[in-house]
Amino acid sequence: MPILEVEHIRKYFGHTEVLKDISFSLEKGQVVSIIGSSGSGKTTLLRCLNFLERPDQGIIRVNGEILFDANDPSTQQESEIRRKRLHFGLVFQSFHLFPQYTALGNVMLAKELLAREQPGYDAGKKSIHAKIEGQARELLRQMGLSDRMGNYPHQLSGGQCQRVAIARALALQPDILCFDEPTSALDPELTGEVLKVIKELAEQKTTMVIVTHEMAFARDVADQVIFMDEGHILEQGSPQDVFEHPREERTKQFLSRFKQG
Amino acid sequence: MKKMLTLMIALAMTVTLAACGSGEREASGDAPAASDASSDDASDASANGTSEDASDAASSADGSSADSDLEYVKSKGTLVVGITDFEPMDYKEESGEWIGFDADMAKAFAKSIGVEAEFVEIDWDNKILELDGKTIDCVWNGMTLTDEVKSSMSCSNAYCNNAQIVIVPADKADQYQDTDSLSGLTFAVEAGSAGEEQVSALNLEYTSVKAQADALMEVAAGTSDAAVIDSLMAAAMVGEGTSYDSLAYTIGLNSEEYGVGFRKGSDLTQALNDFFAASYADGSMQQTAETYKVQAALIEQ
Amino acid sequence: MEQILDQLPVVLKSLNIGFLQTLKLFMVTLIGAFPLGLVIAFGAMSRFKPVSIITKLIVWIVRGTPLMIQLLIIYYFPGLVLRNPIWGGGEGGRFLAASVSFILNYACYFSEIYRGGIQGVPVGQREAGLVLGMTKTQIFFRVTLLQMIKRIVPPMSNEIITLVKDTSLARIIALQEIIWAGQAFMKGSQGISGAIWPLFFTAVYYLIFNGILTVLLGQLEKKLDYFK
Repeated sequence: MPILEVEHIRKYFGHTEVLKDISFSLEKGQVVSIIGSSGSGKTTLLRCLNFLERPDQGIIRVNGEILFDANDPSTQQESEIRRKRLHFGLVFQSFHLFPQYTALGNVMLAKELLAREQPGYDAGKKSIHAKIEGQARELLRQMGLSDRMGNYPHQLSGGQCQRVAIARALALQPDILCFDEPTSALDPELTGEVLKVIKELAEQKTTMVIVTHEMAFARDVADQVIFMDEGHILEQGSPQDVFEHPREERTKQFLSRFKQG
Repeated sequence: MKKMLTLMIALAMTVTLAACGSGEREASGDAPAASDASSDDASDASANGTSEDASDAASSADGSSADSDLEYVKSKGTLVVGITDFEPMDYKEESGEWIGFDADMAKAFAKSIGVEAEFVEIDWDNKILELDGKTIDCVWNGMTLTDEVKSSMSCSNAYCNNAQIVIVPADKADQYQDTDSLSGLTFAVEAGSAGEEQVSALNLEYTSVKAQADALMEVAAGTSDAAVIDSLMAAAMVGEGTSYDSLAYTIGLNSEEYGVGFRKGSDLTQALNDFFAASYADGSMQQTAETYKVQAALIEQ
Repeated sequence: MEQILDQLPVVLKSLNIGFLQTLKLFMVTLIGAFPLGLVIAFGAMSRFKPVSIITKLIVWIVRGTPLMIQLLIIYYFPGLVLRNPIWGGGEGGRFLAASVSFILNYACYFSEIYRGGIQGVPVGQREAGLVLGMTKTQIFFRVTLLQMIKRIVPPMSNEIITLVKDTSLARIIALQEIIWAGQAFMKGSQGISGAIWPLFFTAVYYLIFNGILTVLLGQLEKKLDYFK
């Protein structure tokens, strides 16, 4: 059974249809790269998965459970959405780290707030805190930030910030980790360190949905590639199929721009 | 919605106030008229604002109705007296207690009608606003009975003589001993004061300042050539042994009188006139005047 | 000079009483305008059109007219036009009317500062909190509030310093604050008249008080300097 199933998602902004009947699925431990030009609806799709936008039609399933069904209001209750969001993690293009917390604080904050709601928190406060901090430190170490844990975001480079943001998302152990153009806000020389980290995550079989403009990276890291154009999924398949033997004219055009560049 | 309404009213009020600026006389005439319409003071309609208002006094004697200002003050238990710091009429003692000829008389009057006198320092420019707005009940502060004052307040009988006199630097005093010599001087006078009326009647060049004391300061500083202020004040503040020993007073421009102002149509006016007559008859008024050395100016009641 | 030294104790006593009144008005205005400003800010940002339009209209009127006129209207209007002098003529009533005017006026200025502060925090901060499973309350208190405060402190400091000086406007309704107290010696009070130095002296009070405020607010700003 796929870990993620998206069926017939449609989304309108006013009268403009930005997502037109989107369906795809993803197996556990796999990576899907979503490519396409700006305005093709890639980011909106990710935002729908993270409940930052509400689709007007369609169904989203995780592990077979219906998280969202546009025709069933009972799946859209505010109180439930918070829990459902935790199936997903989202790494933003421009990081959105919390500026008043250190790198370590950013990674720990959400986890601590969740722990507080658990029964027995008061009794085991100290040990719970220590455990969360231990996990956060380990994550930052994996991201190569051992010596940066106490720094505030404004003291970090863009690449370092994005790695903190990845650690922050991972701290909640989401089923599916989403990336929204994670390197687009970075100077070219800093993209490498972020892509390397994501690649390592892929090797550890982290389930990921990655929206990106880095074609070589998309091809390299993905098990499946989706090409979106004007709100449609125009082409979908293995990296080899989509990059070497694109069927659609639009796909060829799009890829040729990158080959030249 | 309620806020909205309040705002509209506030805006309308702004316009009214702007009109005030152009002439106090108009504004003070308007406000009581508005009150009449609201039927708060039925007897006001017939009142002409002078002291001999027999019908008002009669209605208060009945003790009948809520439209009596006397009853209003009695029900509050305090007579709020609007004053400025003006020696020897109203000024503060070391202890913070208000004393002076006016202050002592006001206390005695309040006692005679069975209430307490409460002294409130006001901005002299706003005296009619304060009175009509009922934030004070009378103006009792060596107030010259000018035409303007008489038309906008109900005034008591005059109780003190005063004059508007000219102040110049002491070393030039002998040059200015008649009205003709004054032309060519620039004067400083208190805005809206009797002194302002006098200099403008004589077609002299003048600047209006905020207070009589400011007018003195203008002369002392040399920014104006001369000032016109109350003789009672001049006696206390100008000449040798005072804070303005470099100034001197020369001629008087008029003679005038002090009175107490109440709201238009108020029956308190008659009550005060009766009180003045009684205290003059038993000599207590003269005694108070002597305490503050104004007995020479006192007018027989 | 000698004369001034003789008069100093009397003058200082008066000025102290006046300054206490100034301080009181200053404190009460802040205590009232901080929360009211927030309410007005939320009103102006309300998605319910009538509320936001009316709030913005009020803010426009209050900010677009002189505080002095507002003082005159609020104090004299009830008695003059409504025939109901709700404030009374005593010192307490004048203080209350002045407080209401100042709170309303300053709340409107504060509301614009709050609005700038709230809208200045990037939407991404809220969204980052949401995808991390935080509640709206948690996001407000843990994430946006401090960033808001950081944005608000510098413009708020300016307004607070201005307020200290603006309190002197209350003398238009005969609230006896420090300038009134100083000016009394120009007109003549307690045996001292024609003296302008007490008025200059009031400036020293303002300077010292504003100096203290500037230092305190500067420290607060510095404290929030650890993040950007």
